[in-house]
Amino acid sequence: MPTFKLDGREISFEPGETVIEAAWRVGIEIPHYCWHPGLSIAANCRMCLVHITSGRQMEMPQLELDEETGEYVPATKPKLQPACQLGAVEGMEVSSTNEVVKKAQAAVQEFLLLNHPVDCPICDQAGECKLQDYYQEHQGTLKRKLTEPVHKPKGVRFGPTIVYDAERCIMCTRCIRVSDELAKDHVLDMRERGDRNEIVLAPGRELDHKYTLMTEHVCPVGALTSSDFRFKARVWFLKSRPSVCTGCATGCNTHADYDPRNGKVYRLRPRDNPDVNEFWMCDDGMMTYTRHDTDRLLMPTAGRGEERTPILEGDALELAAEKLSNVESSKLGVVLSAQHTTEDNLALVKLAQALGAEHLYLAALGGWEGDDILRSEDNNPNRAGAMRAAGGVALKPVGDLLTDVQSGSVQGVLALGARTAERLEELAPLVVLDAVVSLTTHVGALSAVAAVAIPVADTFEIEGSFVNEKGMEQAFEPVLAAPIGVEPGWRTIAALAGLLGHDLGFEDLQGLRRGLGTEVEAAQ
Amino acid sequence: MEPADELLEEESALELQTEPMRLNMGPSHPAMHGTVRMVLDLDGETIVNLDLQPGYLHRGFEKSCERGTWAQVFPYVDRLNYVSPMLNNVGWSLAVEKLLGIEVPERCQYYRVILGELSRITDHFTCNGASAMELGAFTPFLWLLKVRDWIWDILEKETGARMTHSFGRIGGMAAPPTATFKDDLRAVIPELHKVVKEAEIMLIRNRIFLDRMQGVGILTKEQALAYGCTGPVARGSGVAYDVRKDHPYMVYDRFDFEVPIGEDGDNWDRFMVRFEEVRQSIRIIEQAMEQMPDDGPVNVDDPRIVFPEKSDVYDTIEATIAHFKLVMEGLQTPKGEVYSFTEGGNGELGFYIVSDGSGTPYRVRVRPPCWYNLTACREMLIGEMIADIVPTFGSINMIGGECDR
Amino acid sequence: MSQAVIDRLSTQFGERLLETSDAFGDHEVVVADKDWVELAQFLKDDQELQMDHFIDLTAVDHPERELARFDVLLLLRSSASGSRIRARTRIEEGKELGTLSGVWPAANWAEREVWDMFGIGFSGHPDLRRILLYEEFEGHPLRKDYPIDRAQPLVPYRDVEELDKLPPFGIEEGVPFARIDWEARLAGGDNQVSPAIGLQQGQRRTLSDSEAAQQIQERLTAKAKAAAQAEAASTEATEEGSGD
Repeated sequence: MPTFKLDGREISFEPGETVIEAAWRVGIEIPHYCWHPGLSIAANCRMCLVHITSGRQMEMPQLELDEETGEYVPATKPKLQPACQLGAVEGMEVSSTNEVVKKAQAAVQEFLLLNHPVDCPICDQAGECKLQDYYQEHQGTLKRKLTEPVHKPKGVRFGPTIVYDAERCIMCTRCIRVSDELAKDHVLDMRERGDRNEIVLAPGRELDHKYTLMTEHVCPVGALTSSDFRFKARVWFLKSRPSVCTGCATGCNTHADYDPRNGKVYRLRPRDNPDVNEFWMCDDGMMTYTRHDTDRLLMPTAGRGEERTPILEGDALELAAEKLSNVESSKLGVVLSAQHTTEDNLALVKLAQALGAEHLYLAALGGWEGDDILRSEDNNPNRAGAMRAAGGVALKPVGDLLTDVQSGSVQGVLALGARTAERLEELAPLVVLDAVVSLTTHVGALSAVAAVAIPVADTFEIEGSFVNEKGMEQAFEPVLAAPIGVEPGWRTIAALAGLLGHDLGFEDLQGLRRGLGTEVEAAQ
Repeated sequence: MEPADELLEEESALELQTEPMRLNMGPSHPAMHGTVRMVLDLDGETIVNLDLQPGYLHRGFEKSCERGTWAQVFPYVDRLNYVSPMLNNVGWSLAVEKLLGIEVPERCQYYRVILGELSRITDHFTCNGASAMELGAFTPFLWLLKVRDWIWDILEKETGARMTHSFGRIGGMAAPPTATFKDDLRAVIPELHKVVKEAEIMLIRNRIFLDRMQGVGILTKEQALAYGCTGPVARGSGVAYDVRKDHPYMVYDRFDFEVPIGEDGDNWDRFMVRFEEVRQSIRIIEQAMEQMPDDGPVNVDDPRIVFPEKSDVYDTIEATIAHFKLVMEGLQTPKGEVYSFTEGGNGELGFYIVSDGSGTPYRVRVRPPCWYNLTACREMLIGEMIADIVPTFGSINMIGGECDR
Repeated sequence: MSQAVIDRLSTQFGERLLETSDAFGDHEVVVADKDWVELAQFLKDDQELQMDHFIDLTAVDHPERELARFDVLLLLRSSASGSRIRARTRIEEGKELGTLSGVWPAANWAEREVWDMFGIGFSGHPDLRRILLYEEFEGHPLRKDYPIDRAQPLVPYRDVEELDKLPPFGIEEGVPFARIDWEARLAGGDNQVSPAIGLQQGQRRTLSDSEAAQQIQERLTAKAKAAAQAEAASTEATEEGSGD
């Protein structure tokens, strides 16, 4: 591969790459605001200026203050190039750390801060703000301007998810390019010139496409903030763990940011993966973090409707085992869940095989509007994984379960998961059955009709894997500890199997996964 | 007439069988300054063996330093030798500045020297006053404390607190000297001279005081070195070591002062060394006052190290960001390990700092001068009598905060 | 002046002097733990060095590095020449270091404190027991895996019946008790969200570091390697072909 030299270090590059991209790949930071590896080049922030020290030098005339005489004398300065736009050339020597570059960086930083409001104490970006980080590294001087900073609109509601603050904006146009290139919706643009610059919405519109939170994610300063995350948590108290989004079958990789002091997840950020989601996530996916503490089932319950009472974990398992053993195995319906991990589903399949139950169903949400950017039409993260767990056995939809119950060929149901496409009213046929056991994370339709509902751990609390619609298996580890008494689904199923007199043959997750085949149902 | 047991031969049937008595001079005892426990094995009144048990004031200083930033260590450091807190502040500032490789402006160095010497004077007044009081001389104690309070008034005017000022900052001081600083000093210095003379007059010709202090608690020079003693304890034993003279730091090499050295290493030498040091400290303060510039910056001019002015923080974004970063992430230091030492009230106060390149200290070790002085105390006391514990222990000036940390 | 000490030690110890340094103006030598007592004795007894003034003995815990876990440091001074030296050795957990209390009696208490705070044993020490903490204390507090807010079992919090006592700071209030959560860090789970703090703590290469960058780089290098191998194979083939 061809190479060029950056600060004396040889860096190889692909033809067509820019200097900043080649450096970014090998872990060298050339300071920048407006460049983003996933967006087009704008080169308007001028922070990434570098000095090409090889080849013919271009110089610009300037006037310099001579300290001794106090007069301005003619001098020259080298013409610096923006590294984000500078195509790498074989044998080129570039410096990003010499004196002229340092002066340029300090000057750019000073200009950016010239009219910047003193908002750090109330700005959400504090702690992850590039202005703060680059100030310390590249400027380090105090303010020279004595007049009042320019004032612009603050707290402008751009849409249901985003709030804009024009004073903090450095006009890098990352948000405009995200809306154009990712969401393919030219709803943001820049207005006016000079120090009156502002980002504005297209007339008559608001920021309502499906990737609005990505504009907030790419904004290097606190100009665009998410109304959901605003003022909720300070970033330096948060820790993050990698996870996978449960919104749809694309399976975007995420960072889950949580506060270890109270065990609450505050937001998701996209985790960059060139094969799955590149650098992005959609709004619905970003908001799936709320599922972790909303409507959770934390204590097992027995009884339906008015008679629903909480019971102890051990009692719940025994009650469930009792109810299930009263059902003939050929009349037992086992419902897998496209919202649960492959491992949970696999354990349930093993239990079904041990019990001799042949009716396998799949509870899945009905689908939503997909697009050809990131969103899959299937809003279940693990349909393919559930099918893989079933190992070739056809999975019928829950609608078929209801018909089978009505016809009498199914007299007991063991269901994994809380969410299904059918509404509560549609699940009415299950209410007449006595033996309906639900292993669920949330209070939902399936758990409402269950005679015994047992809580299992949520995606953030377990180790497991999802298979996305392209057939890629994505494993993840727990982000937080599960509430006390709530176990992962596969462990609860193993305990239930033990009470039913069957040993499913695994002690831990590795043992469980040994039984996993690799065939995926062709029909999706 | 000889004692009765000397008349009898050994193994005689009439000899009274004795064994050493174990006596506990517990941590809660008026003579055990700063809670030290002594378990004594006594033969009559003579101390045969002594188990010194410090640690009753252990507060986890070194562990606590790892939980904050570099600047958040100042309140902890104050509470080490809490009778001379400015010396600790200065020691810590110098340690981190050595790691950063910066030097503060001259005005700041003179300021630190003067405040440090004032603290040293208060330390010696407290030690000698308490020593005298424990031997029954109440009056010099109160006179010394009266003047000590005047010094504390000056320190309160400058720093805002009488003790535990937390006034030092990395890269400077928390505030510049007040306008009346030099005038206040000029008013107090004659009083200092006067009270030292008066206290001495009361004590140095008193037969009882001399008997209890001279020839008691002897520490030889070799012992002092082997036990790691420094400061007035070592200098009383003849070790000519003062960090200000041997490894001058800040502007100490510009002053003309002497280092008093004792000969016998007994309590009396340590006591008088302290009074002499007070006189030398006053000399240093007078010279520093002459040389100290009356205007000019006190802090290093780098917002990445020193907190910007509060008025700037409220008005400009640059100062807000600098303040923010210094508070939230701490001062960025280079990776490495450094040992920096100054002359504290009791001897060589050293800070051994390990930095992992971030704003949080990785390890802070305090080399406490009175820890090693206390080890030597055991040597001084074996063979002496119980009543000698009081002046001997008082003469090493064991400050619990520094010893136990 | 202290450079002379290092020179003398290199002459005497040669290869056994593992490293020397004078970073920040402090002169330091490093030896293996088996040479520790010999080095100390030499420093004291040698006519040229005469390091008779004991300054300090302490330890530092580095649980995450590949070398031995603990650093033990010795600081000395010579009263005759005024030169200073810092000696360092590295020792693993569970191993004992030779005692220096026979060389300087001051080391007696210093080593007791190192035992107390770090759990490093000293063989031959006349009286190795805890000095700052009480005998029943469990654990060694200055180790990084000892959380600063651990409560010791001997004195439980009292439960007063009539009063509704709350702890003074709830866990949700204020700054977290310790800036760095060593327990989480040693378990591998201390990932910072803030890029600047993550960079400070060595969790990322640069502010804008991203997993995608590393993945793309790995792929490109693999591709280049494969291309190079394919080229080498094809040149071999052409050579063989031409050699026929």
